[in-house]
Amino acid sequence: MPRITINVNGRAVSSDIDERMLLIEFIRDVACLTGTHAGCYEARCGCCAVELDGSSVKSCNVLALQADGKSLFTVESLSQQRLAPVEHITTQSLAGVYVPLEAMSSNMQDLHPLQAAFHRCHALQCGFCTPGMLMVLKNFLEEHPRPSRDEVRVAISGNLCRCTGYQHIVDAAMEAAAIMHPEPA
Amino acid sequence: MTPFIYYRPTDLHEAAGLLADAAATTKLLAGGQSLLLALKDRTLRPARVVSVASLTGLGGVREQRDGRLDIGATTTYAKLARATFAGWHAEIAAVAGNLADRSVRSLGTIGGAVCHAAPRFDMPTLLTAAGAQMHLLSVAGERSLNANDFFNPQGGTHMTGAEILTRISVPGVDSLDALAFEKFRFRIFDAAIVSVACALKVGSDGKISKANIVVGALANAPLTAVATAAQLIGRKPRELRAEAIGAEAAGEVAPFITTQTLRQRYQSELVISLTAKAFARASASVMGA
Repeated sequence: MPRITINVNGRAVSSDIDERMLLIEFIRDVACLTGTHAGCYEARCGCCAVELDGSSVKSCNVLALQADGKSLFTVESLSQQRLAPVEHITTQSLAGVYVPLEAMSSNMQDLHPLQAAFHRCHALQCGFCTPGMLMVLKNFLEEHPRPSRDEVRVAISGNLCRCTGYQHIVDAAMEAAAIMHPEPA
Repeated sequence: MTPFIYYRPTDLHEAAGLLADAAATTKLLAGGQSLLLALKDRTLRPARVVSVASLTGLGGVREQRDGRLDIGATTTYAKLARATFAGWHAEIAAVAGNLADRSVRSLGTIGGAVCHAAPRFDMPTLLTAAGAQMHLLSVAGERSLNANDFFNPQGGTHMTGAEILTRISVPGVDSLDALAFEKFRFRIFDAAIVSVACALKVGSDGKISKANIVVGALANAPLTAVATAAQLIGRKPRELRAEAIGAEAAGEVAPFITTQTLRQRYQSELVISLTAKAFARASASVMGA
């Protein structure tokens, strides 16, 4: 069993793993960060998208071994308060960990502008695809500060959402782009 | 997945040595976007997986002194798409940025796609039309194959199991005047149902001196419409009708026969329109230059 170390959200996580372990399994079962969702395991749905060394990848189609020594960011990294994994979720722990959504602004300290925009625009219903959408859109918007709606649609073409019809997701991405990269006055 | 041993060689010769030991049961891993799918559904059951992703000398793009563009086998689509290439080389970047989806492109490599040689992939078609050369390395030495001879008409490639694709040489900008690639797919992240690449070179008299039309996704390897391309030689692009060339190419590589399956008939019609589009774009760029 090889031993690997991956820097997950700024924290080095080491473990002895089976060669066959996928990156998504490492994130969920070893690093105990269950925000990243495992949908299809076929690199189609995009729910498992994470950022690996600055580029978005589908973590179900990468061996954990391929990510050895690399730096990885999951959806938990978007807002600071969710960095600490909660071992047993109770009402008390939730009350301590989460701030009510209404109390959050689009301030970087509370919620990433994309997350805030998703909330405002109602860009999710069941929320299963959201972690992947957020990670891909974050990566895309950092590279393309002022995208058109069509470009946003192409960027999330590898992420499937069965609830929203994508309209609100595109709305949220456009809104977040304006907040992340304000027009120079 | 079936169990395997994972190797991370530190240089190319070590990787070649690992392959030579047990070529039949060893697979190379670059980005893994095709390999992992095959491992997961167990269509491939290698005993050893050798990662070549981080080997120095396999990644990156270099322009040689003679104008050739050397693309390292483990260059990702994302990296190719961001590159700024001169002249018709820009089509390579455009194609690399318009396939699969954003997350797959950041790991998928051009060499992986070429070695996997799935008929519906874009790169085999494009590189065949561009007249690229594949450089192979094994413990026995190095050799290179033209794209035409590289892809096996029965499927796959003519590489031996012990060889590693190290780089892909695309001829210099002077070798052609235009290269246009067109494809059709249902959804934007799907592989092509038909893809067509058209390469043109025009002499000083304004007449076509070199033409190449390659159709992908029809057969197990890219098909070259040799006769159709030969008819273009010596003609001026302005005198030619793109639709007629499309029909000609379809007649050559995918004739419309009523006994065919619906899919084949659909593909046959796509060859007509995509060839016409590719030729029109290539000739427009030739005439504009």
